[in-house]
Amino acid sequence: MTFEELEHTADVRMKITAPTLAELYAESGFALAATLYGEYSREKAEVSFPIEAEGKDAEETFVNFLSELLFLTEVEYLVPTSFDLVVCNTTVSGNVSGILFDRKKHAGGIGVKGISYSGISFEKNAHGYELIIIFDI
Amino acid sequence: MNEKIQHIAATEWEIPTGFVPGMRVPGRFFLSESLAKGLEEGALTQLANVATLPGILCNSLGMPDIHWGYGFPIGGVAAFDEKTGIISPGGVGFDINCGVRMITTPLTLADIPDMKGLIEDLFETVPTGVGSKSPVRLSQNDLSSMLLDGAKNAVELGYGMKSDISRCEENGAMPGADIEFVSKKARQRGVPQCGTLGSGNHFLEVQVIDEIEDAATAKTFGVAEGQICVMIHCGSRGLGHQVCTDHLQVLEEATKKYRITLPDRQLACAPLHSPEGEAYFGAMAASANYAWANRQVITHLVRELFVKKFKIAYEEMPLVYDVAHNVAKWEEHDVACGHNGGQRRRVCVHRKGATRAFGPGRKEIVQEFRDAGQPVIIPGSMGTSSYLLAGTAGAMEKTFGSTCHGAGRVQSRSSAKKQLTGEMVASDLARRGIIVRAPNAATIAEEAPDVYKPSSEVVQVVHDAGISRIVARFRPLGVIKG
Repeated sequence: MTFEELEHTADVRMKITAPTLAELYAESGFALAATLYGEYSREKAEVSFPIEAEGKDAEETFVNFLSELLFLTEVEYLVPTSFDLVVCNTTVSGNVSGILFDRKKHAGGIGVKGISYSGISFEKNAHGYELIIIFDI
Repeated sequence: MNEKIQHIAATEWEIPTGFVPGMRVPGRFFLSESLAKGLEEGALTQLANVATLPGILCNSLGMPDIHWGYGFPIGGVAAFDEKTGIISPGGVGFDINCGVRMITTPLTLADIPDMKGLIEDLFETVPTGVGSKSPVRLSQNDLSSMLLDGAKNAVELGYGMKSDISRCEENGAMPGADIEFVSKKARQRGVPQCGTLGSGNHFLEVQVIDEIEDAATAKTFGVAEGQICVMIHCGSRGLGHQVCTDHLQVLEEATKKYRITLPDRQLACAPLHSPEGEAYFGAMAASANYAWANRQVITHLVRELFVKKFKIAYEEMPLVYDVAHNVAKWEEHDVACGHNGGQRRRVCVHRKGATRAFGPGRKEIVQEFRDAGQPVIIPGSMGTSSYLLAGTAGAMEKTFGSTCHGAGRVQSRSSAKKQLTGEMVASDLARRGIIVRAPNAATIAEEAPDVYKPSSEVVQVVHDAGISRIVARFRPLGVIKG
């Protein structure tokens, strides 16, 4: 796991790190899924959906990417287990695969209303990339 | 407390202009001295930031449950001039028309020997938590009608009684809803979720009225000591969340287009009568209507269960009132500040985690309650009391007819989970006679009563500040957390 929950009074604030940008997007997706479903095993995928997002800067692209993923979780009942993503400047595209929501396995988290710009930060450091983002619950 | 903050009355504090650059009006908030000690610097800054927005009237206001939010603080209220003012999703929130309603029953405690069984049945009846699915099969046309007509539409579909409609703020449907500006994605999220409770701080609670403070008003509102009631707290679900997400991006661009200088990106906004501002208003009003329909469908599910379980009549469970928490609305107010002191004006009031609390005489209040003032519902936090209050003339003078919406969190979810388990919280509540049920134990830990301010202290501030007056207190018996 390369994400951890930081302190926030009302919402969920996540710090996500990864060596590459594509992995950072994937890990941000798993951070969102962990908030929604708690801990769950990443079983063999049964369904797959295309996913893409762009923005005028990296922060906006992350917000848009995670908003797309949130949409898939609510409309398709997707629980992501793997991402296959390509990142080009401020565009990310690829596929998200997973299994369908099952209350017996996945009802361990909390609903996310939206992906917030509040306190968002994205930076490249000596170890790779780091994103701090708040999920509005 | 920051040294620049001025204590201007027992429960009133002022943030002077200049606290952050560009403030057009002062900030003002309502807290007791003890609650003020816990106020976060971030919430103060947010309250001051709101005061920089174009067209803001009188004060940027913070209710007694004020805490750090998104754009506006939670518990934030601001009214904007029709010609020079703006509209901002940051002043409404992701969960458009998150709100609370209360229904009464003819039952007393003696009629419910098995509270645990009742809560379990309610948990099975009302779809709750992440991944919950609607009991209603909506077509796209049905959804369009719901977005336009709100609670009235739900009643027409068979989910409620005609008498419910006038017991909702705005009669359960805000004028100005425009479905053209509700995206396909928002509609896709809305179709499977109408009649679902959601998660987080949303809840369904069975309560008993354990103290009447104002007997005459309680009688008017139809509540009596010892009576069992049900309180429902939820909002517009994914549909409203998507509307907020969609329009935030449009309004970010609009902020630049209209050259509005903001201290915080989260306050993205547009002039009220700009195409972008009107589009957001239309979509927000449609989402608000969906939320009223959502609470109406849940009400119906609850009534049906009580009818079946306790052999009472459906009509014996009237709605006391339904109030919205997260909306921006056109209202008329006597604006007692600036160049037009005391003039009745049409203004756009943003209430972000705040409740309308109109005082006696307002035409917006259903005739039967008009002399008493609007019923105001302030829920507690699973283990603490909830309150029914009445709106006051003081609220009309000080807060554009607004009051607080709850107790307000003081502890993070992650911190709560480190200190508590769901089992610990549930056991503690059970010892106090309160049954709690949720899809998972973590939710119970995150929503433990101690992570909120004491509701009684917050409500006392409301009462003492004169921005609503206490009518009745409710003790929790059983609660479902989403």
